Amino acid sequence: MTKHVSLFERAYRSALLIFPPAFRERFGDEMMEFARQRVRRERTRGKVPVALFAARTFADLARTAPGVWLSLILERDADASSPEQPRDNMDILRQDLRFAIRALARRPGFTIVAALTLALGIGANTAIFSVVDAVLIRPLPYPHADRLVMVNGVQGTQGGQGVSYADYVDWRRLNRSFDELGTLRGQSVNLTGGDAPDRLFGAFVSASFLRVMGPPMLRGRTFTDAETEVATAAPIAIVSDEAWQSHFGADPAMIGKTLVLNGTTFTVVGIMGPKQAITYGSIPDVMVPIAYYPNASGLARGTRGVSVIGRLKPGATIDAARRDLSAIEKQLADEFSATNAGTGAEVISLRETIVGSSRDQLSILLAAVAVVLLIACANVANLQLARGASRVRELSVRAALGAGRRRIAQQILTESIVLALVGGVLSVALASGLTKGVVALIGTQLPVDPATIGLDARVLGFALAISIATGILFGLPPALKAARAGLSDMLRTRTGTGHGHLVTRNVLVVVQLALSLALLAAAGLLTRSLIALQQVNPGFDGDRLLTAQFRLPPAKYDSPDKIATMFERTLAELRAIPGVESAALVRASPLSGNGETYPVTIEGRPAAKAGDAPQLQLNSTSPGYLSAMRIPLLAGREFAEADRAGSLPVVIVNRAFANASWPGESAIGKRIRIGDSTWRTIIAVAGDTKHFTLNETQLLQAYVPHAQRPQIFTSLVVRAKGDPLLLARPVREAIWRVDRDQPVWRFRSMEQDLSGSVASSKTTMWLTGLFALVALLVASVGIYGVLSYTMAQRTQEVGIRIALGADARQVIRMVIRDAMRVIAIAVLAGLAASFASAGLLRGSLYGVGPHDLGTFAVVTVVLSAVALAACYIPARRASRVDPMVALRAE
Amino acid sequence: MARDPRSQLPLTPVVLHILLALAEGERHGYAIAQDVEDATQGQVRMGPGTLYGSIQRMLTSALIEEAPARRRADDGEDDARRRYYRVTAYGRRVLELELERLNAIVRLARHKHLVGGARPA
Repeated sequence: MTKHVSLFERAYRSALLIFPPAFRERFGDEMMEFARQRVRRERTRGKVPVALFAARTFADLARTAPGVWLSLILERDADASSPEQPRDNMDILRQDLRFAIRALARRPGFTIVAALTLALGIGANTAIFSVVDAVLIRPLPYPHADRLVMVNGVQGTQGGQGVSYADYVDWRRLNRSFDELGTLRGQSVNLTGGDAPDRLFGAFVSASFLRVMGPPMLRGRTFTDAETEVATAAPIAIVSDEAWQSHFGADPAMIGKTLVLNGTTFTVVGIMGPKQAITYGSIPDVMVPIAYYPNASGLARGTRGVSVIGRLKPGATIDAARRDLSAIEKQLADEFSATNAGTGAEVISLRETIVGSSRDQLSILLAAVAVVLLIACANVANLQLARGASRVRELSVRAALGAGRRRIAQQILTESIVLALVGGVLSVALASGLTKGVVALIGTQLPVDPATIGLDARVLGFALAISIATGILFGLPPALKAARAGLSDMLRTRTGTGHGHLVTRNVLVVVQLALSLALLAAAGLLTRSLIALQQVNPGFDGDRLLTAQFRLPPAKYDSPDKIATMFERTLAELRAIPGVESAALVRASPLSGNGETYPVTIEGRPAAKAGDAPQLQLNSTSPGYLSAMRIPLLAGREFAEADRAGSLPVVIVNRAFANASWPGESAIGKRIRIGDSTWRTIIAVAGDTKHFTLNETQLLQAYVPHAQRPQIFTSLVVRAKGDPLLLARPVREAIWRVDRDQPVWRFRSMEQDLSGSVASSKTTMWLTGLFALVALLVASVGIYGVLSYTMAQRTQEVGIRIALGADARQVIRMVIRDAMRVIAIAVLAGLAASFASAGLLRGSLYGVGPHDLGTFAVVTVVLSAVALAACYIPARRASRVDPMVALRAE
Repeated sequence: MARDPRSQLPLTPVVLHILLALAEGERHGYAIAQDVEDATQGQVRMGPGTLYGSIQRMLTSALIEEAPARRRADDGEDDARRRYYRVTAYGRRVLELELERLNAIVRLARHKHLVGGARPA
């Protein structure tokens, strides 16, 4: 029992800390004694009442502390309002702050509503800023990050292409703009020799790449130039800290250990420091020399498959670097015209490469929350104007005591800033919750570690800065007005009903409604494009479809025959699994992110200039792929077992390609060449499918049989009779029955890939919609407030009208007519703002233009309806005015 | 600080009860709470924040004052740490005015036959 009591006493003593120090000094001992006595009494009643008593006591302390603080502040203030003159600026500030706190404390209703409105606006901005800061503003975590660039290949007019390793070697030798150029090819690698075959996220790199990205080593060393070059390469590897922990049990003797990767034995020479996201913002499990890139032709001059990252010399510009490399590339085109004709180089900052794709989404969200904050500001400005009358009385007292115009203006501004800061403090709680929510929603779509997003000092600094800016924004107009108009003027317009006043208030309402409309329109357009996106027919049936991937180690599968046999046996095993309806292999399954395109040549037509040839998205498949995917076969036949190495090279093209190349004519029997020298005969035309994204413009597509183009990497598609994900384990085991060392990964249902491809559109839409709703709510409160206030001012007029025989309906109609005028202006302004800002949305829309009239019509109706509903209450109140009361008030 | 006593009206229930308790003589804080609780049959129970928050405000507005410290033989629990409070003349005046005001309200209610004492015949 004593234990409980002493525990209570300790908690109670701490709880007293919420009272002002002066109060504690005076009453602390007494309050302790009071509690002891009470406990002594309560103890006789048993345990439960003691707990109850404790709860009641703490609630009492929490409830009364704010009042004690307030009364102490007011008391001090009352002393300060004696003719004590401020001595210096700090003194003035202190006095202004005291007055401001007192003024706000006097009107708790206004203060709470205004602070909460501001907290909403500031909190939303702070939350979105915390994401923007982490993604777009903070420097990338690499040495000399501002000088890091990505070099892409250019084919004809098409940028963003891969680079050939041989070209990279020449660039590195000949350029004058770079401190260092490095190269990288990311690809998964098979790890064998353990309990079960495993797949690691691998990176094939040059030693110079590691120097450019500069990851610190936890243990061991990095690679040397000689160790990564083709002629002198050494079988060595660096593992990431993460892989060291998760795959190798943080083995202390890791350095010097050997790993069997893709069938080759590598010796570990180093462990990279933690969290080194050095490959486009992701962390590779294991890095090995680029010379070990498994595809035989992967490093040849004609194969553009590697990425190149460079560090510019200090002072070198991106443009100069591009000119430098393009000049070298021109030389190479002369020298190697067969492979390099029409190729070039483009240089893009690494930051742009990594975060560029998030910019659109984040800009929209940032604009949305900025609009919410502006609306909140307009609303608070209106609330302040509504307080005009009482304010003037108070200020005139101060002026009578000798305060100049400047001091009074300063006072008003101080009060606004204090109010905004109160809102800012409240907003932090909101922002911390909102940030977590936003990160949970879009964290995985962002190119940064979501754990780095949060309310750090920078973000809190931002919240502080916009709080102050907000305070100035809505405090400056009334402050300036006070400074301009002398006191006598203010007193003359005592009740604040001056015409100018009302105009200002209506302008503020127009601003709020117009901004809400613009935000609603944006949310509406995003909603429509999401709906359009979800209705896109991908060209195949994604229902109950399981996909997975695997890559054969080239050392083990060193001939086309071995690969073909492995694929055939795998397919037979897959089809034998109970619960499998159909199964097929395809090099790149749709929406998986994989896929390749090649220039196409049509027999009998002049070859297009290099770089200008139409590009065909090419996929290698097993027999039965089209039927397994339920891609319609429009003409001809599917691949058969008989289409194998040595038989007639065949190809199936999609409708888009057939129609574009042979309009009004059958494509079957025609011959084409796809990126190589083999003439392939078209045997069928298949339906069009979406491959990389649902919103891509239709690609020209072609399929060739796996057996005629054997490659070590493939995906599998399996249509299940039931839940596809339940088949993951049997599928893995089926493949292990063919090769017990073969890892299989990325088990996903097509449903997941389909919904994943709209995930980012979906979250942008939801968040914009949420902010639009908040904006609409705040704006409705705004118009409601203004109208209530105007009606209160017009009581006499309404009273006279009623006395003269107007009935309630007529009065309501009159009020609504006035409101409609304001709403109509707001709608026009809002539509204009929407038109003007459409460019921001363009990149994020699909299937709907940024000036979609239908959407604008709907949001106009919604906004008008909500605004009118907000007007209805004041209108009804006006209609019930008792004419006698109204007139007597004269 | 001798403001117009009427400006203090109406009193909050807690302030009124504290004044009523102290009207009988000086008390320390715990005894005030105890008195009020007994007098109202447990209807008004004051927590420490409510009690001392009110005492502080009442001291500021001079409704009550601290009594000079002394040992009191008739209270076995008396203790040097305790402070005793008593009503000021101003406080007494405020209390009278408040009771008059309440009385007037009760008379009005009686007159309208809203409370017992003068049922309609």
